[in-house]
Amino acid sequence: MSQITDDTEFKQALKDLDESSQRLIAARFIEHVLPLSTDERIARIVKVAADNEASADELSNALRTAKAATFDSHTRCGSEGNWKEQAGYFVSRAAVAALTPCEQCSSGSPAWQAAMSSRMARTSMEIDADDMSTTNESEQQYKILSDYLNS
Amino acid sequence: MSASFEKGYNALKEQVDAADASFFSSCVHCGMCAEACLFFTETGAPERTPINKTEPLRRVWKQEYTLLGRIGKIFGLGKKVTDEMLQQWETLVYDSCTLCGRCSMVCPVGNDIAGMIRKTREGMAAAGHAPAGLIGATKRAVTIGSPMGVKLPALQAQIAHVEKDTGMTIPVDVKGADYMLLLSSMEIMNFPEFIEAVAKIFKHASVSWTISSEAFEATNSGIQIGVSDIAAELVQRVVDAAAKLKVKNVISPECGHAYMAIRWDGPNLIGKAYDFKVVHILELLDDLRQQGRLKVSRRLSQRLTYHDPCQISRRGGVIDEPRNLINMFADNFTEMPDTGKMNWCCGAGGGVSSNERADEIRLQVFQRKKDQLDAIHVDGMISACSNCRIHLEDGLEEYHMDMPVLSLTETLAQNLEDH
Amino acid sequence: MTETELLTWVRGPGFQIATIIFVLGILLRLAEILMLGRKPNLAEAKGSAMSSGLRTIFTRTIPDASTFRRSAFTITAGYIFHLGLFVVIFLYAPHILVFKDALNISWPALPSTVIDATTVITIIALIALLVHRLKDPVKRYLSNFDDYLVWFVTILPLVTGYIAFHRVGLPAPSLIAIHILSVELLMIVFPFTKLMHTFTLILARWYNGAISGYRGVQS
Repeated sequence: MSQITDDTEFKQALKDLDESSQRLIAARFIEHVLPLSTDERIARIVKVAADNEASADELSNALRTAKAATFDSHTRCGSEGNWKEQAGYFVSRAAVAALTPCEQCSSGSPAWQAAMSSRMARTSMEIDADDMSTTNESEQQYKILSDYLNS
Repeated sequence: MSASFEKGYNALKEQVDAADASFFSSCVHCGMCAEACLFFTETGAPERTPINKTEPLRRVWKQEYTLLGRIGKIFGLGKKVTDEMLQQWETLVYDSCTLCGRCSMVCPVGNDIAGMIRKTREGMAAAGHAPAGLIGATKRAVTIGSPMGVKLPALQAQIAHVEKDTGMTIPVDVKGADYMLLLSSMEIMNFPEFIEAVAKIFKHASVSWTISSEAFEATNSGIQIGVSDIAAELVQRVVDAAAKLKVKNVISPECGHAYMAIRWDGPNLIGKAYDFKVVHILELLDDLRQQGRLKVSRRLSQRLTYHDPCQISRRGGVIDEPRNLINMFADNFTEMPDTGKMNWCCGAGGGVSSNERADEIRLQVFQRKKDQLDAIHVDGMISACSNCRIHLEDGLEEYHMDMPVLSLTETLAQNLEDH
Repeated sequence: MTETELLTWVRGPGFQIATIIFVLGILLRLAEILMLGRKPNLAEAKGSAMSSGLRTIFTRTIPDASTFRRSAFTITAGYIFHLGLFVVIFLYAPHILVFKDALNISWPALPSTVIDATTVITIIALIALLVHRLKDPVKRYLSNFDDYLVWFVTILPLVTGYIAFHRVGLPAPSLIAIHILSVELLMIVFPFTKLMHTFTLILARWYNGAISGYRGVQS
């Protein structure tokens, strides 16, 4: 099977996955940026998301927790922005996306949204460090997805 | 920005004009404004009656601008304005009011109460009785250029992110572009998808646009705290950048108070009409729709409703445009009971969300929005203000309601025909 | 002073004094307002301030359904007594004669039985509103001396007029003198209380409509 090399392929491949597969792959994207969040709840949420056998109740509880984590970590309108903390916000956003059912997801693909938010988490760290050159989260994500599809 | 009671008193004095005098003269204490204000209806606290929030301004009007009041002042009669009183009024004027303007719509004698509360804030701020969060935001806005401390490199990083992920170029500092887009720090920090959505729509509709690296901030904390000098300075930056880039129009993004500040207050703050037009992003999008430049290829079947951001709808005049746009992609759109210019505030605007002391009341008054939603059983809610969005989400969470809150611009962008 | 002398004074000098204070007082209050002026709006208009302002003077009379539901008592009782006052003051034959004397204009009157009934209804509405003002938390919080004084000087002419009409207690000339005195009290107090809303509400509604209309919102 071929490797994914750009966003068009990436987005399409994600869209083609069924809902639970989207959730699993989203969990992997988030795991990759998990260190950027200081909220302990996220690790547990990601575990639930990555669990194939997770019950509907467990998933909806996890989603609620993710939403709470997102609100807790967002930068209030008018307060002093901290990009390091904002990375945590985007990790929570990714978690919310991963657990949101397809029909409620505005872009139609929860995994794509989780991927985007994960990238933003990385970008936030780069902004904080004032260094845009280093990582390339999208390519890491292509690899994660390719590995998943090939397995 | 040194504060003093004298400065506060004089600030109040300067604010009073003929309209305010007619308002204060006409108030018959009927209490109807209380029933229009969610900070009263959901808490039952009579001191939160809107007209009561203007009491400092009223007392100054009475003893400075009425014969009876002036005579009373000479004899030491009449209700006075003191520093203690201003301190007491702080939570009424800032924590319990978003300047949503519903009171102004309902007053039977025609008082623009929200406008007067806005003016009262001038006195409060000058006397040093404004919430710490707002004071900080305003300081940052002046020194850094953004109330949340978002500097140009951060914006550039967001832009780079968007460019990489979409393959589009975001035009920065393009001279002669038709439109100059402003962004709110809230969007840059919390909803960067907005930039992507706008870029996608503008490419789709072939709009000539740019962002200015010197003035990209739309949020005007000066307006929220009530310090016109600062508000004017923030507007002037935008004016200068627009002149430098020779743009014809400036776009105000999905942020309520930003629109009020740049569109309606701006020229009056700086004392000069603009050389450019100001449009809200929704106004521009509706224009494009009317010209047939937007082609939607997907429609949403979920039952959706629209929350009118107060500063954009009731106080801003952009009421029909969002509905025209929503009808492009929504098959099942329904209005809230009390909609359009009479819709209810989300409870977080006008500086309330940046004030941690107001967290509890902000969530308490969300009950009003909950009641509206309960009446219509929708699957999702659309809005066009980043601050509304995040607090609607918070409120929904608090009240165990499960539905997404969508940005109108982002949703439109997602359902456009791909090139 | 005999009752005839009282009545003569009350109808003559008393009325003149009251009218002068009434008219000058109103003009003073209006001047105080208008002299403050208002800065022109430099923002580009989206709608018409003028037409919206004029329209609001009339449309603000009618609350929207949701607002009405929330303040049904205040609005209903309020309209009853306002309309009642209008009918009693302007559509009662003896009152129309006063206007004819003073301004040389007159118009048809309603039968005095109708006026009588209207007076009773108006008084009841005012009493009900006073009770509400004392009991409703918002109104109680907001209310001050002005509110209660105005209530008193408004209901007094209605009550004294009713008594005079039915000739209860004292001879007619005294009752009429008392009634006219109560009206003169109302006239003197009028310009310095919230009763000014009678005139200033036109300005206030105009400004409100203009502000909204400028932004393209029908207020």
